[in-house]
Amino acid sequence: MSAVATAINAKAAAAPQSGARLLVSTLDRLGVEVVFGYPGGAIMPVYDALTGSRLKHILVRHEQGAAFAADAYARATGKVGVCMATSGPGATNLITGIANAMMDSVPMVCITGNVATHLMGTDAFQEIDILGVTLPLVKHSWVVRHPADVPAVIEEAFHVARSGRPGPVLVDLPKDVQVGMTSDDFGFHYPNDVTPLDHAAIAEAETLIRAAERPLIYIGGGVKIAGAVEALRDFAERTGIPSVSTLNALGSIRTDAPGFLGMLGMHGTKAANEAVQESDLLIVFGARFDDRATGKLNEFAPHAKVVHFDIDPAEINKLRNAHVPVVGDLKAGIEALTARVATASLAIDPWIIRSTSNAKRNAFRYDAPGEGVYAPALLNELSKAAGDTFIAACDVGQHQMWVAQHCEFARPESHLTSGGLGAMGYGLPAGLGAKLAKPEAHVVTISGDGSFMMNIQELATLRRYGVALKIVLLDNASLGLVRQWQELFFAENYSEVDLSDNPDFVAVAQAFGIEAFMIDRRDQVTDGIARLLAAPGPCLMHVLIDPKENVWPLVPPGKSNGEMMHDTRFEGDM
Amino acid sequence: MTDTIQIQIDRADGSLQRLIGLVERRGFHIDGMSLSDEGAMRRVQLQVRGRDEGRCTENLGRQIDKLIGATRVGFAASTYGCQSSVAA
Repeated sequence: MSAVATAINAKAAAAPQSGARLLVSTLDRLGVEVVFGYPGGAIMPVYDALTGSRLKHILVRHEQGAAFAADAYARATGKVGVCMATSGPGATNLITGIANAMMDSVPMVCITGNVATHLMGTDAFQEIDILGVTLPLVKHSWVVRHPADVPAVIEEAFHVARSGRPGPVLVDLPKDVQVGMTSDDFGFHYPNDVTPLDHAAIAEAETLIRAAERPLIYIGGGVKIAGAVEALRDFAERTGIPSVSTLNALGSIRTDAPGFLGMLGMHGTKAANEAVQESDLLIVFGARFDDRATGKLNEFAPHAKVVHFDIDPAEINKLRNAHVPVVGDLKAGIEALTARVATASLAIDPWIIRSTSNAKRNAFRYDAPGEGVYAPALLNELSKAAGDTFIAACDVGQHQMWVAQHCEFARPESHLTSGGLGAMGYGLPAGLGAKLAKPEAHVVTISGDGSFMMNIQELATLRRYGVALKIVLLDNASLGLVRQWQELFFAENYSEVDLSDNPDFVAVAQAFGIEAFMIDRRDQVTDGIARLLAAPGPCLMHVLIDPKENVWPLVPPGKSNGEMMHDTRFEGDM
Repeated sequence: MTDTIQIQIDRADGSLQRLIGLVERRGFHIDGMSLSDEGAMRRVQLQVRGRDEGRCTENLGRQIDKLIGATRVGFAASTYGCQSSVAA
């Protein structure tokens, strides 16, 4: 990539401005509406410049919350998320959020203050080499050395964050650059680095598809990022080829669409994993063969040739060789493929019938025995009650997998989850960011009692801004997914997973000024969901569930996706 | 098995650290390195070796291509560690 800033054409400005004011005016000019952040010593000039600007600053209660909220704002809108923090501890608190955005290719601009240039490298108070610390976690980063460079660097930062394969970028602003005055304003000239469509490769892909008897679409998060959802749906509908999805791509094809077999991988559906193992051609759209999706890699899709569409050339042959790689914009690529393939029908009816009837035969069941709340059933009902404007902001753990398995999604923007990093604590600030981005939607944070405590301070942010986020807190009084693995793979040696001394979450929420109630019986679920969704402001539904409940099915670690373990309660009649 | 990669790289903050960090993070030892001045840019020559089987230098090259401000200008790589090539 050649996106080097070409700072040219200095315009003579009327009055000198500070670097901090140039930052704020540049963000405004770029269309930024919301910034998530937390002030501190080394970024005070920026906060001074924020007052009186059109930017809406959301004061979180921990910088990690700012990064996660900006990430979810970006995922829900497709725009670039923006967060800011001071030097030292403020900057280091952003790191988990930056890593999260990097792993899931989320466009985000992180702005950090730093000590003055002449103090950098002297171990000054709250000095951290945040550029050095975050090098493995960003798509690119800059230290701004002169106030006049601020607009060009910020514009380039936005361009880098959202172009090609998106990702987080970091701009470090030493304090002297924030207060320094300049009359110059250098422009940034966007490089034109669009990869031309590879028609020859698409023709080869067509040949493989026409020859295939068991083709399968493997959908990754790139489809949503590329704005290729409609193109994908058109391709799937017109060819009839069945599809499976990664965690991050759920909703790219409606989860209730007939040819959709479900999520693949460790907690994927039986139908999806069996289809992958039987397939003779994987048509991969914007996916990266993550180990949670593939299981044991050298036994993944053992009979399949691979057509791999991706904008990132480094994903081609990284983990699985592609017989036909198609590097470039996914939307244009899928549209060109559809134009070729949909002209004559494919002779794959037996495969379509076999794979879709397998999905019907193995559909999830919600008639688990007992009186207690069955979380999968609750989540399925919740997504149906919330309808097509449902947005789930998940935390990480068993509940995250239950959401992926049991919620229905109409759009990929409806499912916000920490897929690559798996960062507990994402759910609450992500819900905050998503609800601010989409106030008309039913945004629901779905969390667990472990994850929720990791960023519980953001309840104060909900209250402060009156953000009507709804929270479903599934409480099994333990670190459930770790407990499940200890049960299955560590001989039931339960080590440090007991959280039975959790606080009273209803009382905690109420202390933050947030409506809250508890349910613990199956017959309370429907009314509980109705109350939660109807609440005018933020509301928390605390749900007590059975600590022994596991996520099924499961591909054990190191095993092939063909070796799934199932819920024995439903065996015999599946 | 050591492969040689030549990269032209700018003088921006952290650019060398970014390059070297990437190479090591992606599973390669750096056995040799030289740096020469090219005006506004610098030229870096790296001798790299995969840390274990399955580290393909070609894949590393594609990661280097993504670095902003860096361009591969020379590449003499074996196919050691790369998966066997497949016919289209």
